[in-house]
Amino acid sequence: MTMDKFNQSRKRAGRSPAVWAPDPNRRAVLKGMAATAMTATAGALGPGKARAAGSMNYMCWEGYNDPRIVDPFEETNDVSINFDLIVDSPGGFAKLAAGGHRDFDVVSTDSPWVQRMGPANICEFIDPAEFQDVYDKFYPQFQPPFEPLQFDGKTTGLPTRWGWVGPCINTETSDPDEWKTWDAAFDSKNKDKIGIMDWGDWPIMPMALYAGIDPYKELDQAELDEIRKVLRALFANSRALFSDLSLSQKALLDGSVKTLVGTGTYSTSGLRKAGYENIVAVVPEGNENKQGIIWLEATAIVKTPADIDLAKAMMRHVTNKEAAYALTLNDFTSNPSPNRAVEALYTEEERSVLQLDYVDTVWENSVLHKVAPNIDDLLVIWQEELANAN
Amino acid sequence: MPKDICTIQGVIKNYGNFRALHGIDLHVQKGEFIALVGPSGSGKSTLLQIISGFEAPSEGRLLIDGVDMTDVAPADRPTSMVFQKLALFPHKTIAENIGFPLKLRKVPKAEIAKRTREMLDLMELKPEYLNRYPAQLSGGEQQRVALARSMISHPKLLLLDEPLSALDVKLKKVLQTELKRLHRSLGVTFIHVTHDLEEAMMLADHICVMQNGLLLQVGTPDDIYYRPTHRFVAEFIGETNLFPVKAGQNGSYEIEELPGARGVSSFGGEGVQSDTAYLMVRPEFLHLAAPDHDLDVTIDIVVSETFNHGSTTQVKAVTREGNHIITLEIQGHLDEAVDIGAHLTVGWHDTDTHLFARTADKMEFAA
Amino acid sequence: MSHSLEPSRLMVALHALPSVLLQSAFFVVPLCMTIALSFQETQYYQVQWVWSLTTWTEIFTTYYYWKILFNTVLMSLACVGLCAMIGFPIAYALVTRFQKWQATIKILLVFAFLTDAVLKTFGWVVFLDQTGPANFVLNFLGLPDLPDWVIYSRVSVLFGMVYTLLPFSIFTIYLSVDMIDKNLLRAAYDCGASKFRAFYEVTLPLCKNGLMAGALLVFVLSLGSFLEPKVLGGGKNPMAAELIRQTFETRINWPLGSALTIVVISITVITILLASRLLDLGQGRKK
Repeated sequence: MTMDKFNQSRKRAGRSPAVWAPDPNRRAVLKGMAATAMTATAGALGPGKARAAGSMNYMCWEGYNDPRIVDPFEETNDVSINFDLIVDSPGGFAKLAAGGHRDFDVVSTDSPWVQRMGPANICEFIDPAEFQDVYDKFYPQFQPPFEPLQFDGKTTGLPTRWGWVGPCINTETSDPDEWKTWDAAFDSKNKDKIGIMDWGDWPIMPMALYAGIDPYKELDQAELDEIRKVLRALFANSRALFSDLSLSQKALLDGSVKTLVGTGTYSTSGLRKAGYENIVAVVPEGNENKQGIIWLEATAIVKTPADIDLAKAMMRHVTNKEAAYALTLNDFTSNPSPNRAVEALYTEEERSVLQLDYVDTVWENSVLHKVAPNIDDLLVIWQEELANAN
Repeated sequence: MPKDICTIQGVIKNYGNFRALHGIDLHVQKGEFIALVGPSGSGKSTLLQIISGFEAPSEGRLLIDGVDMTDVAPADRPTSMVFQKLALFPHKTIAENIGFPLKLRKVPKAEIAKRTREMLDLMELKPEYLNRYPAQLSGGEQQRVALARSMISHPKLLLLDEPLSALDVKLKKVLQTELKRLHRSLGVTFIHVTHDLEEAMMLADHICVMQNGLLLQVGTPDDIYYRPTHRFVAEFIGETNLFPVKAGQNGSYEIEELPGARGVSSFGGEGVQSDTAYLMVRPEFLHLAAPDHDLDVTIDIVVSETFNHGSTTQVKAVTREGNHIITLEIQGHLDEAVDIGAHLTVGWHDTDTHLFARTADKMEFAA
Repeated sequence: MSHSLEPSRLMVALHALPSVLLQSAFFVVPLCMTIALSFQETQYYQVQWVWSLTTWTEIFTTYYYWKILFNTVLMSLACVGLCAMIGFPIAYALVTRFQKWQATIKILLVFAFLTDAVLKTFGWVVFLDQTGPANFVLNFLGLPDLPDWVIYSRVSVLFGMVYTLLPFSIFTIYLSVDMIDKNLLRAAYDCGASKFRAFYEVTLPLCKNGLMAGALLVFVLSLGSFLEPKVLGGGKNPMAAELIRQTFETRINWPLGSALTIVVISITVITILLASRLLDLGQGRKK
């Protein structure tokens, strides 16, 4: 219970959280508790296909349950939504795959886990033509067929939030020019000054890219060995692995780490929103291969929802301008939307929190995050190198 | 004059504001069996703790064998204690328990084994017990082991802190006999604490009766039983009859103080001269008045209760004048049943009585 | 006779029923499920009920699992040793020296128990961190910073484990020391023992069982240490619990996670069995 309460305030656990400290932001904690209570109530009521008409079971990350998003939808459609908040993406997927898909209507989670719902046969594919009105509002990069959400030529979901993974730095203690490449993370002058997020695939992918390997294709043994070497060197130069958002943010703020590997806007935006404009998430620039990573969250319809039209209405709702605005400016993390209409709603300050002026550089230097065919091997390598790190 | 093995001089013990001992003086002679008797809270155990060294006196001093014990730790005193709950080491075998004091004195192993066997024989314990643990032995056997442990180092003073109080009556009797035998055969000085005066009478050469931190009387068992100096001592053992009287010179007392008493007081023994004295007559010295009985004093009573004690019959009665409750003990069965409410005349020989000052009462209360 | 026994036996069975049901529901059934799961395979993050030895083969052929398990046992043993060495003097002093403060100290210990482990562990990180209050105070006093290894190291993991588990150690040892009849010590003094000798001959052997029980408790709890290696250790000293969590959560390999769980449970059970044999020897002497 205690753990759960903290879980809610930390996302990206999917990546592998499991350790949670109280968020410095008290509201977030209180919200988290309220959300837990709500989830508990939902659980007690027992979601199931035999549920009363006019209700919907929604599995999502914290943020999608924001009243600014939920209330208008409930009112318009005369429906009440039961939320099941995800504390880690793989966990959420495992729950759906283990039979939970029969209980849920809609899910909002990390894009690789939405993409995986295709082969797992636990989602309703959508027809992009049917959602043309939604795509019309999206930036060109997200137009169909949008590869990170495609499976076997079919579309698994709609992107709802995005951000980038790259060096997170404190401009007061680090020169951003130094971080145009990941080299600095391996420099002996930064020994014990590197923080790594223990968030599943997030820290592995940029290191593979740094090794000049595209981790989103089938890898051979030599490439796996190369990634292993990079991880080994990274661990040797690092101060600590963090699973917790607030401790890593604190380390970045007080200068005890020069950078965080394996995160980006997800970690920096909360600090920027709190007024720390010296904290930025950048992507490596001008390298031979693109080394920045763009991550996404997507919303999908779970296999055989109770009311498919209602589920589709929710897909449209979370991508609309007003909902996107609430979703992108969360209390503890702020990340851009695929919907370009929302840009008109942002103040200068909000644009700065989201680092919107840096977005073009990001797209120029980044690859899209999706299912990596060898992710299981990479996770074993990660585990093994960690075991040998000391 | 025999030498004191233990001398206690003006020992006072305070616990905060509470004074547990009010200045005790006592001389114990070598080879004696001394009993410290008193109810709980009388200070008898405190006195024993001071002798053993586990408590230090607040004032006064203690000499053992002529040596001042003020700065001597319990471990270094020539005393040995048998604890109330025996305090046998549960994790050590019987042999290890008994030999422990010698082991600490770095006595060679062979010597320890030999002396342990001797103690075992002396205590009439079976040799196969040597390798057992205390919990495997009966209560009486444990008692013997505790005694063996405390005597193996040949202490000058053996201190016994109510070691028999937890035992059943039968076993108690056996061990009392055993203690007496041991004392006689070893020649060690015993200081035995008990709340049971009967036990003290049976075992000790001298009895010290204590109450409220005061030593009321020190004397032989006969002194304590027949010649108490305090009402508390007189009433501490058995039943007794105490009549308030005015005692004159030469041990005479004024019979007028006893309503309904007839006769001539011709008590000639030691006595006190006091307007407020007690005349003590033990129940067995009260006789039914009969023509062939030449009783010095007689008094009329009304029987209120009788108790058949087998060899004796105890009669509770009140005097017809003054309603003074008295107890008498009559040898054997009464020939004719004594009915409750029966009127009898009883009396005593003055030579069987004892007089002592009533002022002692005041001391008791002052304490 | 036997007739009258029947209903009472039935009553006994009925009384035992809730306990049996609870035990089955919350212990036996999950354990059996875990064992069953360990013999399955996983495909596309979903358990395939195929009954195979794949995971067990993987466990017995993967060196680093055993490295982590060995590290876990080693860290736990070190924690046991430190808890006993620190806990014993504290427990002993509580009984013998601080009778007046006993109640206060016990309440403080209970509070230490009740405080959320997450908060405590994070608190230590914040306190000991380079820019934390510890260094601030040291610098204020003109002293150098704490050395680097006070945080995110094996030392800090051990520190955290000892800090969390010490109360268990103190309480079990305290009880065993407190239960020793004070007269036994007096008897030892009376026999001529010095304070040290009496401690060595009487106190120490008599609280051996308390020490063992405390050690066992600390060991078993240490094996499950999770927050300390992850938070205070900076994740670079993984222990068994973290390996299992990663396997379940990040790798979504439930059969493998279950098998690793069984291995850790086995280590625990074997330790308890060995320890209880040792304890039995101690008790057999007393009987």
